[in-house]
Amino acid sequence: MPELRTRLFAPARDPLWGAIAALLVSLLVSFLAIAVSGRDAVSGFADLVSGAFGGIGPLGETAIKSAVLILTGLSVAVAFTVGLFNIGAEGQLIWGGLAAAVVGQIDVPGAMVWSLAAAALAGALWGLLPGWLKVRRGVHEVISTILLNWIAIHLVQGWLVPGPLGAPGSGATVSVAGTEPIVAAARLPRLFFGSRLDLGFPLALLAAAAVWWLLTRTWRGFEWRAVGTGRDAARASGVPADRRICEGMALSGALAGLGGALLILGTEHKYPGVFRALRAGATRLQLVGIHPSFAELTQGLAVLLVAAPRLFLPLLARLRGRPAAAASDPPIPTVQP
Amino acid sequence: MNALELHGIVKRFGPVTALDGVSLAMAPGEVVALVGENGAGKSTLVSVACGLYRADAGTVSAFGRQLPPGDPRAAIDAGIGVVYQHFMLVGPLTVWENAVLGREPRRLGFIDRRRSRREAADVAARLGLAIDVDARVETLSVAAQQRVEILKQLWRGARALILDEPTALLSPQESAELMRTVRALAAEGRAVLFISHKLREVLAVADRIAVIRRGNILRAAAPRSRTDTAALADLMMGGAPAVVARSSPSRMLPQPGIVLRARELTCSSDRGLPALRGVSFDVRSGEVVGVAGVDGNGQTELAEAIAGLRSAGGLLSLDGDTSFHRSPAAARRAGMAHLPEDRRRLALCGSLSVEENLALGHHSSPPYARGFLIDRPGRRAMAQRLIAEFDVRTPDPSARAADLSGGNQQKLVAARELSGGPPPRLIVAVHPTRGLDPRASRRVHEALFAAQRGGAAILVVSLDLDELRELCHRILVLFDGRIAGEAAPDASDEQLGRMMLGQVPAVA
Amino acid sequence: MNLILDFAPPLVFAALGGVLSERAGVVNIGLEGMMRFGAFAAAAGSIVSGSPWIGLACGALAGAAAAAVHALLSLRFRADQVVSGIALNLVALGLVTYLLQSIFGSSGVSPNAASLPRDGFGHSALAYAALIAPLVFHLWLLRTPAGLRVRAIGEHPIATATLGIRVLRLRAACVLSSGALAGIGGATLSVGILGQFDSRMPAGQGFMALAAMVFGRWTPLGAAAAAFLFSAAEALQRQLSFSLHAADLRLEGIFLALPYALTLLLLALRVGRTRAPAADGVPYDPEDQAVQP
Repeated sequence: MPELRTRLFAPARDPLWGAIAALLVSLLVSFLAIAVSGRDAVSGFADLVSGAFGGIGPLGETAIKSAVLILTGLSVAVAFTVGLFNIGAEGQLIWGGLAAAVVGQIDVPGAMVWSLAAAALAGALWGLLPGWLKVRRGVHEVISTILLNWIAIHLVQGWLVPGPLGAPGSGATVSVAGTEPIVAAARLPRLFFGSRLDLGFPLALLAAAAVWWLLTRTWRGFEWRAVGTGRDAARASGVPADRRICEGMALSGALAGLGGALLILGTEHKYPGVFRALRAGATRLQLVGIHPSFAELTQGLAVLLVAAPRLFLPLLARLRGRPAAAASDPPIPTVQP
Repeated sequence: MNALELHGIVKRFGPVTALDGVSLAMAPGEVVALVGENGAGKSTLVSVACGLYRADAGTVSAFGRQLPPGDPRAAIDAGIGVVYQHFMLVGPLTVWENAVLGREPRRLGFIDRRRSRREAADVAARLGLAIDVDARVETLSVAAQQRVEILKQLWRGARALILDEPTALLSPQESAELMRTVRALAAEGRAVLFISHKLREVLAVADRIAVIRRGNILRAAAPRSRTDTAALADLMMGGAPAVVARSSPSRMLPQPGIVLRARELTCSSDRGLPALRGVSFDVRSGEVVGVAGVDGNGQTELAEAIAGLRSAGGLLSLDGDTSFHRSPAAARRAGMAHLPEDRRRLALCGSLSVEENLALGHHSSPPYARGFLIDRPGRRAMAQRLIAEFDVRTPDPSARAADLSGGNQQKLVAARELSGGPPPRLIVAVHPTRGLDPRASRRVHEALFAAQRGGAAILVVSLDLDELRELCHRILVLFDGRIAGEAAPDASDEQLGRMMLGQVPAVA
Repeated sequence: MNLILDFAPPLVFAALGGVLSERAGVVNIGLEGMMRFGAFAAAAGSIVSGSPWIGLACGALAGAAAAAVHALLSLRFRADQVVSGIALNLVALGLVTYLLQSIFGSSGVSPNAASLPRDGFGHSALAYAALIAPLVFHLWLLRTPAGLRVRAIGEHPIATATLGIRVLRLRAACVLSSGALAGIGGATLSVGILGQFDSRMPAGQGFMALAAMVFGRWTPLGAAAAAFLFSAAEALQRQLSFSLHAADLRLEGIFLALPYALTLLLLALRVGRTRAPAADGVPYDPEDQAVQP
């Protein structure tokens, strides 16, 4: 039993437990906040859960949304592997979605595949740009990706979709219609009756597996990890660090672009005029009178807590069965044992 | 009343005990030397004495008053001043700003610049230290920066000065100058604690010598004679073989073939200033050539140029190939191996495992990889072999490289560079044993000798003249980006020192 | 020209906040969130009390409070400073939207708030403050003991600690002040310019402020100048868009994207010749053995 406990709470697993703890704490805080505000927290959360997991329809919804989250999560993870923070997943997703919506209007055999490829390419380019700016011009990727997000939002949703790429005959006011719908051959096939679950979810899982395999099993993936953990050391050992960083960012962008494609090809079937951020179950919250922005709040809290794993270090150490270690990481010993 | 008194100091870092009940006392006007090998606890003791670290047990007192633990300000107020081995100077700030930082003279809420500059200049002049108080510290030479550190402490009225390895980065002449300053400070009534692992210097200047080993002080008495090195060395290393049964390289003559050729090599530093101004030399197969010089005269840039990390003008060829240094990858394909100065930054990916770091540089070829896949069993087997061969102390090949001690990290790098792939043709080793204890140093040297026997040409850059004497067939001295001279291993400190300061005309 | 003086202050204050935090060695990506909290708190304070000055004070306090969270995570718990800042922005996004809904029952704009009085030229006190503040900050940073210490801890915190200066305390003070400045920047938007809170505030200005800081080489005067430059570009864009009837031609998107694209272009052209404070973003660990060989 103690053996299992040691294995389960080994230091290498700290980030996992930190993340779980963060999630639990943020949910708890949200629960309390709702309760304090006088609303029915219990039924709100029950709705959240049922809206997410109750029945094949809701499960399908959850799966669809999580497919996109999986891909954007992968996008961030891949960028982080080469040492960069990719905050630009949103912009890459938008361009990917648009590319899918446009290419998806062409009726050719394999329309779905072409659309997906176009989305990946669009996202890759939008991800490559900040990568290139970082290695060539030293522009911090956090700033550049955030700026690029805004540029994407404005160009796509403020000009291209209402304008040249919009469905004709939409009228003089800002069109709600969006782009022309994609052809049937481009749509992601639905998998079950009674659910909107489509090929997107398995595709996302497949992408996750592929990325895992790439990073852990190939030596190119190893080079990415080396560049991300010790860029100068990797470069000194012969790895073309700048090129690898750009590759990583391109893949990162491509994954986010695919996420956008899933939304378009699977659910929307066109690029809509009004594109809301999606949260499974959160729409149910509104029925109980709880503001959907609580979901954003929860997300933010979760990220906040994940950013500070040290908050949970003492707890984790105790779970491990040893007295809490000192607050600082064990330093390199100056005396040889 | 003692200027500084440490009593029963215990300091642990996790499972490691760095100081095990250490006691030491210094009287005003006394110069006490603290000697010990790397890792014995010297720097830890210094940090405790000045309040940067909090001791787990024991007390620190200055002039009769016990100091609160972990309080640098109290230590400073009590008159304790420390000149660290790694300078504690804020680069972009000027000399006077660094000197008064934390105790700035004020006028109407602003810093009183005039007074600050004047006082700093006065202190410097009084002790004969040549310093420009308006210069930005990052533009100064190492020796000058050290003078700034001393100035900083004196301006604060330090009556007990601690110098941590002060001569590590100085030429022999600059070291001698420092010793004179130390004696002058003692004559003024200050107590000086002088920490070093260089026995000869210490014997020349100290009133008493304390030997520390593995966290314990063994002896703190006046030296029996001014040439007591053997006995001291014995104490320092605890009876470990002081003389290693080695095959001295000078007995292994180099072969006639030239491996590395440099002609009129030029190179710029990070700042864009010329770092190498036309350096020419050859290294033959099986030859060990040393590069000596005060830090900052082009050694780093030379090593980086050869390793493909810095672009260089002029001719540089490896086995006749002149484009090998265009990139690190090309250099390695041509058979170059590199043990860099800053191993944490340039040689290791800290978060990756020991096994992965051992593969770095060779990771795309067998036995580490097959096709585009990583060959896990092959890589693991290689790692185990290298760990055993080089005695890299790690609980497991999958432990994080950053968690290894400095010595083991260097052994890891040596293992990978010298044995991890095809035998190298050229080895560039920069400060290969810096910060390592004697056993680890020996291992690294043995690895270099083994490579030498295999016909590799070796270039060793080091600040440790004794190391260069032990390893090299001949020693080149760099000064101001040029070769100031060439010396045989039996050259004296004095001769080498003059070349290091550029006082001898360059030898063609 | 008048437009610039009107629109620049939020950016200027936020950029100054960024400079203060980063010169002390703490990366502050959360300026956007701090501005948002500041803008909302200022509007709320002004509505409730009827005085825009109280609103302004509320804005500064809200910004500082948000910064306190960032400081706690980054300094006490050594969290990654970039992630902490981003998280703060996310929380600000959701929380303020919620508060807008629950307190004022709106999802777009708040009720009108009393705004700051304007003088004969049509400028509020904050416009002038935005001209003076960079100069004051510059003098403080370069000529006072506190300024010297802040510069020191941003470059070499361990060296500064050996001189008895409390690094973490000083860094925390700088982060809090940086939040207050960002909060004032946000407050300028709601009670200084618009007269109410809009749910989109500050609409990316926090990130523009970061870009201004980088472009201005982490100096108060440089950041302020960059902020004025960016505001000018923004004003120009608005004029162009209006005069070209962009809305009719559905070209609005291009004009809206222009300021961001321009910022990115400027960053790409300038950066590479200067560096952030050496210890920027590196958590300060007093017992970090990496100092020893």
